[in-house]
Amino acid sequence: MTTVQERPAGEVGAARKRKEDARLITGRTMWTENITLPGMLHLAILRSPMAHARVTRVDTSAALREPGVVTAFSGRDVADTQGSLPCAWPVTEDMVHPDHPPLAVDEVRHAGEAVAVVVARDRASAVDALASIEVDYEPLPVVLDMEEALAEDARLVHADKGTNKAYTWVFDSGEAGTGQAVDAAFAGAEVVIKRRYIQQRLIPAFMEPRSVVVDPTGDQHTIWSATQIPHILRVMVALVTGMPEHKVRVVAPDVGGGFGGKLQVTAEELIAFMAAQRVGKPVKYTETRSDSLLSAHHGRDQIQDLELAARRDGTVLGLRVNLLANMGAYLGIVTPGVPLLGAFMYNAIYKFPAYRFVCTGVYTNTTTTDAYRGAGRPEATYAIERLMDELAAELDLDPVEIRRRNWIGHDEFPFDTVAGLTYDSGNYEAATDKALALFGYEELRAEQASRRASGDPVQLGIGVSTYTEMCGLAPSRVLGALRYAAGGWETASVRVLPTGKVEVVTGTSPHGQGHETAWSQIVADRLGVPFEDIEVLHGDTRTSHKGLDTYGSRSLAVGGIALVNACTKVIDKARPVAAHLLECDVSDLEFADGAFRVRGAPSDAAGKTIADCAFAVFAAHDMPDGVEPSVDADATYDPGNFSFPHGTHLCATEVDTETGRVTIRSYVAVDDVGRVINPLIVEGQVHGGVAQGIAQALFEEAVYDSEGNLLTGTFIDYTVPSAVDLPDIVSDRNETPAPDHPLGAKGVGEAGTIASTPAVINAIVDALRPYGVRDIRMPATPERVWQALQGGARS
Amino acid sequence: MIPVSFEYAKPSTVDDAVRALTDGGDDAKVLAGGQSLIPMLRLRMAVPTLLVDLGGLGELRGVRDDGDALVVGAMTRHADLLRDPLVRDHAPLLAQATETVADRQVRHLGTIGGSLSHADPAGDLPSVAIALDVSFEVVGPGGWRTIPAADFFVDFLTTSLGDGELLAALRVPKQDGWGTHYEKFSRVAQAWAIVGVAAAVRRENGMIAGARVALTNMGSRPVRARAVEEALVGASATVDAVSSAAGRAAEGADPPTDVWASAAYRSHLATVLTRRAVAAAGGIHAS
Amino acid sequence: MRLDHSFTVPVDVDEAWRVLLDVPRVAPCMPGAALTEFDGEAFTGTVKVKVGPIVLTYTGKGRFVERDDAAHRVVIEASGRDTRAAGTASATVTAVLVPDGDRTRVEVATDLVVTGRPAQFGRGMLADVGGRLVGQFADCLASEIAAPVPDAPQPVVPDSLPDPAEPSEPAPAEATSTPSADGIETTPAAIQPAATAVSPAAVLRPVEPEREVEPIDLLKLSAGTRTARYAGLVGLAAVAAVATWFVIRALRG
Repeated sequence: MTTVQERPAGEVGAARKRKEDARLITGRTMWTENITLPGMLHLAILRSPMAHARVTRVDTSAALREPGVVTAFSGRDVADTQGSLPCAWPVTEDMVHPDHPPLAVDEVRHAGEAVAVVVARDRASAVDALASIEVDYEPLPVVLDMEEALAEDARLVHADKGTNKAYTWVFDSGEAGTGQAVDAAFAGAEVVIKRRYIQQRLIPAFMEPRSVVVDPTGDQHTIWSATQIPHILRVMVALVTGMPEHKVRVVAPDVGGGFGGKLQVTAEELIAFMAAQRVGKPVKYTETRSDSLLSAHHGRDQIQDLELAARRDGTVLGLRVNLLANMGAYLGIVTPGVPLLGAFMYNAIYKFPAYRFVCTGVYTNTTTTDAYRGAGRPEATYAIERLMDELAAELDLDPVEIRRRNWIGHDEFPFDTVAGLTYDSGNYEAATDKALALFGYEELRAEQASRRASGDPVQLGIGVSTYTEMCGLAPSRVLGALRYAAGGWETASVRVLPTGKVEVVTGTSPHGQGHETAWSQIVADRLGVPFEDIEVLHGDTRTSHKGLDTYGSRSLAVGGIALVNACTKVIDKARPVAAHLLECDVSDLEFADGAFRVRGAPSDAAGKTIADCAFAVFAAHDMPDGVEPSVDADATYDPGNFSFPHGTHLCATEVDTETGRVTIRSYVAVDDVGRVINPLIVEGQVHGGVAQGIAQALFEEAVYDSEGNLLTGTFIDYTVPSAVDLPDIVSDRNETPAPDHPLGAKGVGEAGTIASTPAVINAIVDALRPYGVRDIRMPATPERVWQALQGGARS
Repeated sequence: MIPVSFEYAKPSTVDDAVRALTDGGDDAKVLAGGQSLIPMLRLRMAVPTLLVDLGGLGELRGVRDDGDALVVGAMTRHADLLRDPLVRDHAPLLAQATETVADRQVRHLGTIGGSLSHADPAGDLPSVAIALDVSFEVVGPGGWRTIPAADFFVDFLTTSLGDGELLAALRVPKQDGWGTHYEKFSRVAQAWAIVGVAAAVRRENGMIAGARVALTNMGSRPVRARAVEEALVGASATVDAVSSAAGRAAEGADPPTDVWASAAYRSHLATVLTRRAVAAAGGIHAS
Repeated sequence: MRLDHSFTVPVDVDEAWRVLLDVPRVAPCMPGAALTEFDGEAFTGTVKVKVGPIVLTYTGKGRFVERDDAAHRVVIEASGRDTRAAGTASATVTAVLVPDGDRTRVEVATDLVVTGRPAQFGRGMLADVGGRLVGQFADCLASEIAAPVPDAPQPVVPDSLPDPAEPSEPAPAEATSTPSADGIETTPAAIQPAATAVSPAAVLRPVEPEREVEPIDLLKLSAGTRTARYAGLVGLAAVAAVATWFVIRALRG
């Protein structure tokens, strides 16, 4: 028998170069935009320039007369049939949930909302004809600021709802029985740190713009889409359009990144679906970058009001969080739930006993927000890690020391947290010690002191960030308790072909993560099949009929176990076949090193491989009675708990006090993501994640003007950093295996993003504390840093 | 996005180019390197009826020595310019500033003439041109004429090029005996400057004998920081003198407020960056 | 976005009011705009704005919200959309004349809203350029009001041949050369015979001289002031359009 707790020798843990990279990097693959079908037409979308307006007239008749145009229509033309875009996470019973038509009908509520479409024989003609569509807008008052939106006499995004408040969701450790009452904790506090932090609005900025092709000509309508969630999309298309689910096939071909930004059922997908049905021919839509920045969902955009209670010895007693979360104009697939994913993480790695979290979702005339790398967890981690530094400063303690005094000891796991989760494992001490050593913490502190003493115009700051996150979304029962509409399980199938090659089908939907490589490594070890002989299939509901796709660092932590379980089933199904071939009793067999052998036989003795068994069942000439002539197996796995990767990141920044320029001098990341399947992939995830977190700290922000125009509508103004703007990242790992996971893996997709943002801001504030600076609003642009130094941002 | 359709001409002589441009009228545009124009076409903010591609005019490419000046063809690509030995020897400021233009890909397609004719005050090269008193050799239906740098830039994206005229070459005075430096400050590496400072300093006997300072993105066109220059010339080559002069960098400038920075911050930056640029150009450091 | 401008002219308020409403004198202050239709109440027109390679063409409509002869106050609302669907622009312009001894203070308040690509792809320069445009209008208006007022209309001489396909706004001959604040002049085109074509728009209004409308061109506006950025172009267009409707409405009033 295979023993799942043991680390298999061989492929797992090897730094395999990713097998999918050659085609992804060269682009010689099928991106949705590359698809060309016979008779295919092209769709262009006219978007609202207004952030809020009544649409009093849409006239598409002139567009119909333009060359190459096949059809044109507006929201009013499809008002009765287009349905409403889905939100799968009504977080409270009384959540205000407005209709979300794919094409606006009577009113537009954010700039970039789709108003009308043209379908033409080529893309240029479709785009040209948009100019011939006449739309009359009657401007309505715009509400952009969340606090203004909640005021008594606020202008309304959805007038018929009578409020801009989507919901209020509360967690209270006293009421939930997971800890003490927070008021009592504050009553006993010697120190209270009170802060407001702003999580600015970000744009996922995936590399491949969204693209969709819909072919209505087959027995099944086929939708190719640059999506993270082909399986969820299929269900939702069926529910929204009324098309029977078995008549819908969804394919996510190679997808160029998502970061949560493609975890969505989009207006564009449904508009393309409607258009294709209308013309009876395949239709393609690919957004431009500026369309993407304007209309694909955004992330973050929260106001965090925080109060931390502590004793003067540094012991944290409790935390109050009052959150405003900007929904945008409508709800996306999981919009309301994103801040709730953070609700369970504000206590982070600490043991404090009392916690209250209140989140209010707010509608504004802005692009809808939804999942973006980390989704709620980076915001929570930022808040608590900034507060811990502020507490350390208040008590004149080293920021590492304040954490030591409050974190969960490695011998205290499993640990039931004040937020109601059970952390399975971790070793915060070990990760932090390793990071401090790699960083040269003491030397940098000494340099900081000497720069302060000499009045150096370039000051040095050191930022500490210790984090954990809940990965492996998610136990279905937890999702049910949180009113999420779907489960959190994942599936895998393993098919052994007659020649011994293996097809693996996964319900995850990689869009850059490297599942084909990692899954091959896992299967190679489990079944004793060469890495090269394994093909991983995904993202097509025809081959991968079931799955819950890829987001929330869930693919390996959940899908990986389904895969391991499927491999175990393959071995179990092959066992009687092997026994038959070896003419022995099943109970005399053991499977090791890729072959069944009679127990006790030498390892070089002839055995029967999985390939042998696969060929035997293919011929099936003399299978014993009752033995199914197949070694293929499926498995579906629902996790019993989340997984909790953690780590310590340290950042040293140099701050030019004359210009406000922040330069990251060194960055150390020590992550504990459990057992590592492929260290190259983990390294890549950490690097990319750290880059994205630094981007929030220093560079990126979606900015609207007072009319609701998105001012950061190109990469000129939405400043995504490039390699030149980023530091060398020293990355190392500890491995505390996840006890509930047969692979011991915990997930790594979001770790870097979660950890790095507070590390950078803590470092900047640390550099400037002698100047009286206690906070810098993100992104910490040179001007904001300079203003803080002028006293403008002291609080 | 896809540009609005337009006619395309690729003349092989300068005369043909001028003719095509003249015949094309008001809505004809020159395509030099395309690194600013093509994004505008794709955003449909620009809708020319005719593009006259100067890519076929080999005679407008390259750098030659012309006594006390270099003559730089307008179609010389940034990547070629910054590697050119004549430019490195006699106009290192131009090479240094060109190296900061956008990113490597842009520098391999963009041209110096295109960059200057686009007249974006946030561009790096216009301020270098006015700091160095570059002459603009222009050809049009009325023949050739020379425009001094100070008169070339009129306003935002607007030059004194007349109808049918195109920029053919630049006459860059050799900077022998001058120290130069370009100090650029941008949000991310490939972005336009929030503020940039081009400085050239000539020292004699411990004094500053000559100073030319021009500012990027401090107005609707590149700005010559005359107050700084006046304060520097005749001053001793000391850190204090440079600091004091640089404090006047924003005098007469009218910087924009935009999504990158406020006017007030730009004015502050101009003083800091001018001090650094002048100090670097003149080799003036605290002893 | 609100833009405020005021200036003082050396005439009394009644005289200033009369000149303000004397369209033949004020219209040339508005480069780039063309009236296409006027039915006595509502107006439509186009404004072409061109800066460097950037071109925006707005079609729009406007109306008089208020005209108070006693208070010397007019309010106009106008809105337009770019003909290539780049976005919209709208403005409410309030002009008030305030007596100041034997002089008059003219106060122009503009509420300007610009949407779409020009706002989105600008670098946040809208206020600068919008302000500059209103300032330009105000400067021109000031110089017109301060100048001697002719007793009779000038001879009807159009400054160019109108394109039959593109109806244009009426303008007097004296408007063909308009000094702007810094002395840069718009260039008059060749003098042509009187209107040789009748456009649909032309039949809607008294026969008047017509003028080919040049796009607004930054080259011809005051140089060396605030930077114009893409976004600003729309502001420019909106203000120009509004001002055009303003003078035309005033003519009818």
